[in-house]
Amino acid sequence: MIYTKKSPALVIIGILMFLWGWLNASGSIDGLQSALQKSAYSDHTKVNEKFQAELRFANEQAQTEGKPAPELKKPTSKFDKEKAFQTKFGYFFGSVFVLIGLFILTWKAKAGNLDYYISTVPGMALILLIAFVVRWGLDPMFANWGKDVQAAGILSWDFAKIFNLNYVVMGILAGIVIVNVIGIPAWAANGVRTARVFLKTGVILLGTLYSAAELAQLGFLSVVMIGIFVLGSVWLVLLMGRRMKCPNTMTGVLSAGLGVCGVSATVAASPVVQAKAGEIAYTIGTILLWGVGCMFIFPTVGHVLGMGPVQFGAWAGTGILNSAQVAGAALAFDPHGIETLKVAEIFNITRVLFLPIIVLWLAAWFVKHEESAVKVNLAEVLVAKFPLFVLGFIAMFALSSTGVFAPAGHYQGKYFSSAEVKEDKLLKPKEVRALEAELPKARNASETKAMQDLIANRKVMTREEGETLKSVAKIEGFDAVAAGAIANANKAATHDSKIIKNFRDWLAWLFSIGLIGLGMQITVASIKQAGGKPLIIGSVVGTLKAVGSLVVVLMFVKEFV
Amino acid sequence: MLTANTILLAYHGTDGAKRAEALAYDIISSEEGGRIVHLLVVPEELWAGMQGDDWLNNASTRDTFGSYVEGMLEKDAAEQVAAVEAHCKQRGLAYTPILRVGDLADCLVAAARDQKVDLVVIGPPRSKKESGLRSRMELDTLGRGLPVPYVVASGE
Repeated sequence: MIYTKKSPALVIIGILMFLWGWLNASGSIDGLQSALQKSAYSDHTKVNEKFQAELRFANEQAQTEGKPAPELKKPTSKFDKEKAFQTKFGYFFGSVFVLIGLFILTWKAKAGNLDYYISTVPGMALILLIAFVVRWGLDPMFANWGKDVQAAGILSWDFAKIFNLNYVVMGILAGIVIVNVIGIPAWAANGVRTARVFLKTGVILLGTLYSAAELAQLGFLSVVMIGIFVLGSVWLVLLMGRRMKCPNTMTGVLSAGLGVCGVSATVAASPVVQAKAGEIAYTIGTILLWGVGCMFIFPTVGHVLGMGPVQFGAWAGTGILNSAQVAGAALAFDPHGIETLKVAEIFNITRVLFLPIIVLWLAAWFVKHEESAVKVNLAEVLVAKFPLFVLGFIAMFALSSTGVFAPAGHYQGKYFSSAEVKEDKLLKPKEVRALEAELPKARNASETKAMQDLIANRKVMTREEGETLKSVAKIEGFDAVAAGAIANANKAATHDSKIIKNFRDWLAWLFSIGLIGLGMQITVASIKQAGGKPLIIGSVVGTLKAVGSLVVVLMFVKEFV
Repeated sequence: MLTANTILLAYHGTDGAKRAEALAYDIISSEEGGRIVHLLVVPEELWAGMQGDDWLNNASTRDTFGSYVEGMLEKDAAEQVAAVEAHCKQRGLAYTPILRVGDLADCLVAAARDQKVDLVVIGPPRSKKESGLRSRMELDTLGRGLPVPYVVASGE
């Protein structure tokens, strides 16, 4: 079978991306970009004004001194950086897609691995194009509209903020609209299916951003909450299914889907409980209906209740039936940070680790209640259902902790290094004098030593001394210049790992692309299958899970990240 | 009384399809040469959405699921083909089964053209209370695309 479809679509997508890069590089769309990136453009204007003033002053001074006009390097503004980034992305992906697109048009495909891998590129390019449009166009556009509508007094609230109309939500919506209105074109079908790889890669990279203590705390919390709510909802569905006289096959598949991680659990458990096609469709329809609904409702409720990242991540990770929408809700709640996603994904991982256990439970339950049931092999189920990407997550966490990507002891790529403090970041004589004057205020020997080391070396020498100095700076009546010097010295000794910073940037793109692709797999035809007793059971369990986990989170979970 | 030599019957085992089958036997010519063309369609939209937005499972679990669903559909199809074939045999009618994956109405129009049938018989839409897959026949597509008349069996 030949998978690659001959189509000029990839070349066209490549040209569009390249063109966007060129338009940014040439400055032809600065007007449009300044309207979209309002905050970055305002920074750009300030940077420009400051630079012009400095240049004028330097020129006047040079003129007075009879020296030639100095050459000053113009600093890069956020606006310049954003344009440069879009240019780089546009050029890179545009060129790659045009080249592969031309190859597809001229190549006589033969069945094999090359054909299969090449066939996935047009679909990935389509998703990436949608991600470009949503992230660089729709996201800032709606954010501006929300603020403008509120400023004009048409609404007393920012509709874009309240409805979480950010790049994540709009990306998923774009995917859902495309698949249901125009359908996925044949040339893109294979690539769209690779979306799950992007999400899994995102989760694996996320492993680099946890500290051991954080992982232990979140892991414990997730095991407790998922344990209670997963086991509780599986039990409740089994009970309701039997009371409502649903077939065992229906009850079995519904309990996995509603209890563990939604569609993925349905796929894993269906063969074990011998669910029929219609029952699988009913279950998936119910889960998608609830999942998509919750993805929109949860972030708004979270904001209204003033939840923090740990609380919201724990709630979404437990209360949303379908795991794909957990990541979506976490990013919709906090699209520009990664904290909520970090918490929610730990809950997702815990859910998927529960999956083999639940499948075994259901297999045992099915054997007990159905004569035609086939016994399953414990080891086979555990091996076959084990999510391999979790090993990747653990491996990345371990590598990150041992200092492969950033010196050991870093947190989210930030680490302490006195040796790497640059010459121009050392304390200025004025700051040293201010610290010397404040030395007698030190309250104990360790504070005195930390201050003496700072004065002698003009930089913080150890992480511990850095912490001690932070508390020194808070002493009542401590000189403001000296306190500022301590803050500057600590900042100068804290560095960002470039690798981890790149991982963070990639993460947002990986999740964005993955969620658009998953959106493209949510069809109205599937959701329409929801109905009958499964919908009743789903509604009861879905509501109990969402409300119950919210109550537990609000009562017992405190912010600790 | 309406009669036809070759009837295209849309049958997938539901109560409505059984009524359509009974109606087809009433209409088909009792003289020699009567033929039932049995069309069985797996709705593509349903098949495509069968794995929803699953992303957590590994390839082996998805393969197992795919094979399981395929096997189940194959078994269902075989059972329905066997049932209609047996009924045709009892009545001395020739029998041609056609299995397709796609849109119900499109497949029906295509089969009516390919098989050169005289009449198409379909079942009534399922009542909302009745459980089953929600996949409706687009009567508009049938009306515009069919080269022959079609009959809908009564709902009661």
